[in-house]
Amino acid sequence: MLVLDAVTFAYPGTPPYLFTMDAAPGEITAIRGASGSGKSTLLDLIAGFLVPVTGRISVDGTAIETLPPEARPVSIQFQSETLFDHLSAARNVALGLPHADAARVEAALAEVGLPGIGAQRAATLSGGQKQRVALARTLLRNKPVLLLDEPFSALDDETRATTRNLVQSLTRKQKWATLLVTHHADDISAIADRVYRLDNRQLAR
Amino acid sequence: MPRSADQRSADRTLPYRPLRLLGGAVLALAIAALIVTLFWSITAATTGAPTSSADVGYLIYISSLQASLSTALSLMVGVALAWSLNRLRFPGRGLVIGLFASAIVTPGLVIAFGLLSVWGRSGWLGGLGLPVFGLGGVVAAHIILDGAFAARILLARLDAIPEMRLKTGQSLALDPWTRFAIIDWPALRGTLPGLAAIIFLLAFTSFPIVLLLGGGPSVQTLEVAIYAAVRLDFDLSLAVELALIQIAVCATIIIASSVLAPISSSLDRPTEPRWRDGQATQMLQWLILGVAILGFASPLIAVLLDGIVGLSDVLVQRSFWNAVLTSVGVGAASSVLALILALAIAAARAATVSRAARTILGAPAYAYLAVPAVALSLGAFLFVRNLGIAPDLAAPVVVIIANALLSLPFAMATLAPPFEAIARSRGKLIRSLGLSGTRQFLDVEWPLIARDAGLVLALGFCFSLGDLGVIALFGTQDFVTLPLLMSRALGAYRTHDAATIAALMLVLTIAAFVALPPLFERLSRARS
Repeated sequence: MLVLDAVTFAYPGTPPYLFTMDAAPGEITAIRGASGSGKSTLLDLIAGFLVPVTGRISVDGTAIETLPPEARPVSIQFQSETLFDHLSAARNVALGLPHADAARVEAALAEVGLPGIGAQRAATLSGGQKQRVALARTLLRNKPVLLLDEPFSALDDETRATTRNLVQSLTRKQKWATLLVTHHADDISAIADRVYRLDNRQLAR
Repeated sequence: MPRSADQRSADRTLPYRPLRLLGGAVLALAIAALIVTLFWSITAATTGAPTSSADVGYLIYISSLQASLSTALSLMVGVALAWSLNRLRFPGRGLVIGLFASAIVTPGLVIAFGLLSVWGRSGWLGGLGLPVFGLGGVVAAHIILDGAFAARILLARLDAIPEMRLKTGQSLALDPWTRFAIIDWPALRGTLPGLAAIIFLLAFTSFPIVLLLGGGPSVQTLEVAIYAAVRLDFDLSLAVELALIQIAVCATIIIASSVLAPISSSLDRPTEPRWRDGQATQMLQWLILGVAILGFASPLIAVLLDGIVGLSDVLVQRSFWNAVLTSVGVGAASSVLALILALAIAAARAATVSRAARTILGAPAYAYLAVPAVALSLGAFLFVRNLGIAPDLAAPVVVIIANALLSLPFAMATLAPPFEAIARSRGKLIRSLGLSGTRQFLDVEWPLIARDAGLVLALGFCFSLGDLGVIALFGTQDFVTLPLLMSRALGAYRTHDAATIAALMLVLTIAAFVALPPLFERLSRARS
């Protein structure tokens, strides 16, 4: 369970944000909000790129708000630049995992519907394939929280629906607490189990 | 409990790399300490009054006049040539652009010699009687090198004009002049002040070209006067006085140019033939291109052809092979040293968002832009002498370090932007994946900067290969590089030998410039 308890943060010269929320394992929690409303700030706080001024962020009861990004039990997937284009798909999946053997990488790629694609350079993959390779990477690392920052925005309708379904099934199967930031209502209605709205620098259900 | 401001630092978006910062800081400190030491060595030597005389006012005047003329004319040539190359499409266009790009590394001594081969009294076109010595010859040589360099930089700006802007202009049926004024000029003008400062600096500190084509004291630069004071008049006090003036002028130009818009390092992107000008304008563009190719290539071709004549004589000389080995060894060592320094400092700068830290890390490396080769060499000469070490013994180490430091600003300008682009665009991802510093370098950074690293090696090698400013003070009977051997051959009127040496320098320069960047790119691809 991911819990944010009265987490505050402010950029210099601006009013503070106040975030209180929770996200359950095996569920997709969507965060809605207009552009500039603070959705990415929320993800940066959970991922550790920003440190809250006050409040507590915990995963399964353990406080994580002081941990550096690399030590947090969190995976993050961006809209673009989520892979390194000059590396192969397999290398991208294994990145940062010293004991990821080829068989496990291939199994993860197969799990996201991309068997046999490992040798292909990421630059040659489509937008949807890139998001799936990033999901395979998340699968191998298997951290309890998955943050998705507008991951479907650059995809066409068909790829979008397929990728959404994949995220949903992996979340259920792996028991991830998945946080989906989006401003697309159809993404939310398709896969979100619960929805928070970010308005006036505060989260509300 | 509220957390402190430093815990909220934006540095969290970058991978935490204390070792990189420490390594970069140590190297930056060492480089800064070296500058201070050399500067101190120079100022400490100003004890006695100069025993010979030099009209410093005239030296500054003639250096400034020559540099101003070279700058203005090089920019005009550069704009015209970039404009023509941007419009014209023809087989071998890439080769022509590569030819002009090589101007930055073509040794000045080679171009000066090539001009003599074409326009000199016994040259191909010697019968026309054009004055190749004096102000005209010096400015002509600078225009050839710096005009081509300017064209390459400006062409990148024109090639980067957004397609939509061109389509809009085309739909409005703009005539060539209006097109240049409202589409091309705005893309160029931001780059011109910074480019002008660099060309002025190159011309103001020009050494081999002025030494060969200056034709005597009437056309000199401070750099040549320093060399003459040390080597010919044995007047260290005068050399020191001139070196301080030189450093002051160069530093002023650097500081002034730092407030100007930076030169964009935008990379080429494939461009399709698009909006072509009318036939009359195209004819003008072909004319400009033809004259530029002839002007740039003819001295180089002359050097190669003349070099063949004396080849059999030179190849049997032991001194020649010694100089080849020394030049290649010094070039390889100094370019590797420059690459290591630039990699370490650029990686450290990219690991922090603190403006102060970035300045402290980068400033010493860029400071060498303000230190001319002869002044640096003089400082090193005095320093090792003060330590009680014979300059002959220290020569190889000093020449390698000095050449590495002189190419460091160019190495930094090449490597720092990609390092920072990677940190900016992928810092969060790298951090969230928990990559170690080694993996970050090997898996992410190296494959993306390998070509640039090859370019840095090529630049460092070529700069060192063409250096006459440092070796002029440290060269001995046993420690001779190709440029020094060539200038000695010229001094002894062995022009055929000099031609062969110049040709070999040109071949080595072009080979390094053409081969190293793609070789490194290929090696990095093999890894990823």
